[in-house]
Amino acid sequence: MTFSNSLSAAGRRAFLRRMSFGVTGAALGTLWAEDEKILRAGAGPHFPAKVKSVIFLFMCGGVSAMDTFDPKDNKWAGKMLDTINGNNGKPQLRPVLHNPRVFKPYGKSGTPVCEWFPHIGGVIDDIAMVRSMYCHDAGHFQACWEMSTGKRNRVFDHPALGAWTGYALGSANRNLPTFVNMGKPSSPAQLTGGYLGGQEGATPFEAGETPLANLKLPVGTTRAERDRQMETLARLNREFHEQHVFDAEVASRVRSYELAGTLQTAGPELVDFSKEPEHVREMYGVDEPETDEFGRQMLLARRLAERGVRFIQVCHGGAGGGNGKWDSHDDVADHAPLARQTDKPIAGLIRDLKQRGMLDSTMVVWATEFGRTPYSQNNLGRDHNPHGFTCWLAGGGVKGGIVHGATDEIGHKVAEKPQYVTDLQATVLHQMGLDYKRMSVIVNGRPFHLIEEGTGPIRAILG
Amino acid sequence: MKRIRTAPLALLLAALTMSGQQPPAKPPLWSLRPVVRPEVPANDANPIDALIARKHQQKGLRVAGRADKATLLRRLHLDLTGLPPTPAALDQFLNDSSPNAYAKVVDKLLADPQHGVRYARHWLDVLGYADVDEGMLAESGIYHWRDWVIKSLNRDLPYNQFVRAHIAGDLSPRADDFFATGFLTRAAHSPADGAEDIAFNAVEKVSTAFMAMSTGCAKCHDHMYDPILQRDYYAMKALFDPLLPEKKNLATADEILRHEEVLERWRAQQNVIQARMDVLTKPYEKQIFEERMTFLPKDVEAVFRKDPKLRTVAEQEIVTRYNTVVAPDARKFRDVMKPHETVLYEWTRKGQTELRRDAPTLPVFWTVRADASRAAQKNNIYLGGDRTKKGDEVQPGFPFAPKDLKFEGDRRQVFLNWLTAGDNPLFARVAVNRLWQWHFGEGIAGSPSDFGRTGQMPTNPELLDWLASEFVARGYSMKAMHRLIVTSEAYQRTGVVTKELQAANAAADANNRHLWKFPARRLEAEAIRDSVLAVSGKLDTAIGGMSFRGSDINERRVMSATRTGYYDTRDTRRGIYMGRGSDASMNMMPAFLTTFDAEDGHAPCARRERSITAPQVLYLLNGELTQVASRDLAERLFLEAGPGAAAKVDYGYKLVLGRAPSATERDAALSYLGKAEPAQLTGFAWMLLNLSEFVFLP
Repeated sequence: MTFSNSLSAAGRRAFLRRMSFGVTGAALGTLWAEDEKILRAGAGPHFPAKVKSVIFLFMCGGVSAMDTFDPKDNKWAGKMLDTINGNNGKPQLRPVLHNPRVFKPYGKSGTPVCEWFPHIGGVIDDIAMVRSMYCHDAGHFQACWEMSTGKRNRVFDHPALGAWTGYALGSANRNLPTFVNMGKPSSPAQLTGGYLGGQEGATPFEAGETPLANLKLPVGTTRAERDRQMETLARLNREFHEQHVFDAEVASRVRSYELAGTLQTAGPELVDFSKEPEHVREMYGVDEPETDEFGRQMLLARRLAERGVRFIQVCHGGAGGGNGKWDSHDDVADHAPLARQTDKPIAGLIRDLKQRGMLDSTMVVWATEFGRTPYSQNNLGRDHNPHGFTCWLAGGGVKGGIVHGATDEIGHKVAEKPQYVTDLQATVLHQMGLDYKRMSVIVNGRPFHLIEEGTGPIRAILG
Repeated sequence: MKRIRTAPLALLLAALTMSGQQPPAKPPLWSLRPVVRPEVPANDANPIDALIARKHQQKGLRVAGRADKATLLRRLHLDLTGLPPTPAALDQFLNDSSPNAYAKVVDKLLADPQHGVRYARHWLDVLGYADVDEGMLAESGIYHWRDWVIKSLNRDLPYNQFVRAHIAGDLSPRADDFFATGFLTRAAHSPADGAEDIAFNAVEKVSTAFMAMSTGCAKCHDHMYDPILQRDYYAMKALFDPLLPEKKNLATADEILRHEEVLERWRAQQNVIQARMDVLTKPYEKQIFEERMTFLPKDVEAVFRKDPKLRTVAEQEIVTRYNTVVAPDARKFRDVMKPHETVLYEWTRKGQTELRRDAPTLPVFWTVRADASRAAQKNNIYLGGDRTKKGDEVQPGFPFAPKDLKFEGDRRQVFLNWLTAGDNPLFARVAVNRLWQWHFGEGIAGSPSDFGRTGQMPTNPELLDWLASEFVARGYSMKAMHRLIVTSEAYQRTGVVTKELQAANAAADANNRHLWKFPARRLEAEAIRDSVLAVSGKLDTAIGGMSFRGSDINERRVMSATRTGYYDTRDTRRGIYMGRGSDASMNMMPAFLTTFDAEDGHAPCARRERSITAPQVLYLLNGELTQVASRDLAERLFLEAGPGAAAKVDYGYKLVLGRAPSATERDAALSYLGKAEPAQLTGFAWMLLNLSEFVFLP
């Protein structure tokens, strides 16, 4: 079971509190129910939503744009570039790397994609590339804060985007959380409910046999024995529960037993892929050595979206601490195996959503904390580059087969239509029926706005 | 912590502000009006009950009767010490028919060192204690602050002195009060505190903890709802502007004398391992250098090939610039080495890292000191909270300050004299409201750190005022207030009521805000864990010392670099010692704590959330803690209870729930237990730990 990993805590707490809204809201009577209603009424939705679920793919470590989706010629190769502010504020002259990647145009749109991503190339006509993303911070964790919360650092404890959507829209499935995370993130920032409270943070799910913590019986306990114990436990609990029948907290606990039982059967069902047809499993690359893990996560993401989970974040290459696997300082060729792990599953997800008619109501976002520099760091590696990088979106009402914005001819800085990371967030919110300008909350007497920077939704990519 | 409870009002006000309208004229804030001690009957009755009874009369509420003795004992033990009563304590209380039996228990528990542990955890939530927090400077030794709080509560340090120590413990005549300033230094990230973290944080944390006023918004602009101006914020900040972190060496003379020797040994070890490293890497350096040269423009290569002694300054600059490209890195060495060498290389590197991590250090604690040159500087408003944009100069002061304050000596003293004065309407009110919340689950005012306009009004203002004035009259003794509260009838009422009583009171007070019955509630994370360990016989009640690491917290991260030695291995101590905090790159909160709503201390927590959730149930059903404890508890039942299954059932109930089982419970347990073989006994123990009753304060 992978839930003993260190990142489970934040999410677990999130899930419980999510559950407490879903399960005990009723039990606690009018107090909570009304609160919830008022809070949510104040937030959204503000207009009809196009998107029911968002699948947010977070490539941890910082993906190089010019080696993936933003080709540059080698005109500048070998020339020295002043890297002022490029390397965490330290000025330095560094040589621009020769880029050996081969790009070819795909689809009707002819959008070029690096040879590392042939499958994504195959669905390029569903994808809107944004090649003009930027952020401020060049450190991994700081940039993760920015990309996840839209704010720099943890000064005010801002929540992650997934938390906002759950907070504003509530749950569509009481038995499941609204904001789920799979895979290890780089930073707890990617899971945080911040000042909205832990209940809005991400719940960690796994595509293994135990999707949720403590769902499995302990080693040495049989199902039959546990059933017998549960039966006696219920008898022993009865008097206390009856005595406190008017106590909201005790009543909630009775319900939480029931939900625990439901989860113990619903959880395994959720991750039981045996009923998925072979051709679907194949699309995601399930059971192939390189793509199996991420493929299962993508398949589970689809299943969660089908069940109404609003925000499904999948972190790839996160180490649960450390810098993330896409952090190719030594050699950008290190991207290649990571591309192989993700290319087919991501394309499979988009195809599968499309064939099920879910792509219009499900938005897939491919993001990373920042890009990488055109110049060398160690030998063939690239440094962090917050000044210009690529993210892309598919489905959920975005135009397919288009490219928005551009970096300069070296691939260092945004040259056209700069989009701050919060613009990506505003776009997601907009398609979910939320106006970011109307999303503010007052914490301890201080108003907070989700987004205070940037230019709002990237309307040019919306259909 | 209910941080968003006030949102509806807030959103409304925000909407008004955005539309350009001014919020309606504000009535004076209740919490700033003087405390008025209400008249109470001059008889033996506890005035608390008289004041609550008035509300009951007004609202036509009927009260529940007294809880039974076993329930009362369990309530007192869990509330005052966070631990369940032992079977011996239960026998003693049940057999004591003297009229002051209850009072004797109260006195005993208030004198128990575990009382300080329990209430310290409450205070540390409010004060924002964390073992780790985004690279805080004071990490090493911060636990001394936690231990100081435990000790001070145990010796019943008067509340005004408790607060003084937190704000100016460095000036205190008491030798150990400087430990309380961990509250201030905890915010700093560097010895120079260039970001002024101490001062900024002090304003916000002092005002929420001891004044229940949120000043945070006044950092950037005047407060939208409360009478706090941006000028007030920076005036208050000026109280703390002179402060700098100050390292106190806690080592003994002997430790200091031996330290140089220890360091010398450590350096020698480093040299040995470096020599080993050189043997491995030297043969390849030339090869790698040559390879990297091919990567460089010719002119740069020429500079690199020049004798370093003959390079010009400009050339040396070029070398520096290109060196990141040229210098061999670990990956490169691994690539070029022979396989067996790669293994040795990795081992050596690991050894080097570990040795560096284990650099010997002397125990220190970071307190604060007022720096004369900083005190001489002018204090300014920062426009929009931006340190680079200085606004008007401000004089030291604080919100609600009287006119014509004279600041002589340390500025904090002037503030403290105002803050802790008996006639400050906020000081005692805020404190007694917190104590009340910890006994009854909710404060008289429901937003204990916000007595401002976005907070909640007290449900019984007379009671709050009486308690506040009594607190002052009793010299700010927290134990006296605890005694007063837990000996009230309100506290001793049963939480189990008839349908008739519930129905009769439902219209006027369904949520029991007026305490016509005792509010049973879920225990906090630490109390649950401590109870599990206590009844299974494994709890280590040792007081104080370094925190231990939750079993699910990544060891590599915690033990890296500077963290060595901050963690203790005694992990069956009470939950207050379970390390907690936050870090940008790594979760530092044990799953158990977060599952049961403990916060990470990054922001103060005024009131623990008491969520009741399925994952909590799953944690106790299937988690490691319960599995181990069930076996330990079963063993205890086997060894300590008499022969026969019935004796084990009775003893199990007594040990775990502090009462005898009912007839139906006994039957149900016996039918499961059969002959009470070890497997069944473990199953029974597991059930006891999973009973709802076990995780509730009854």
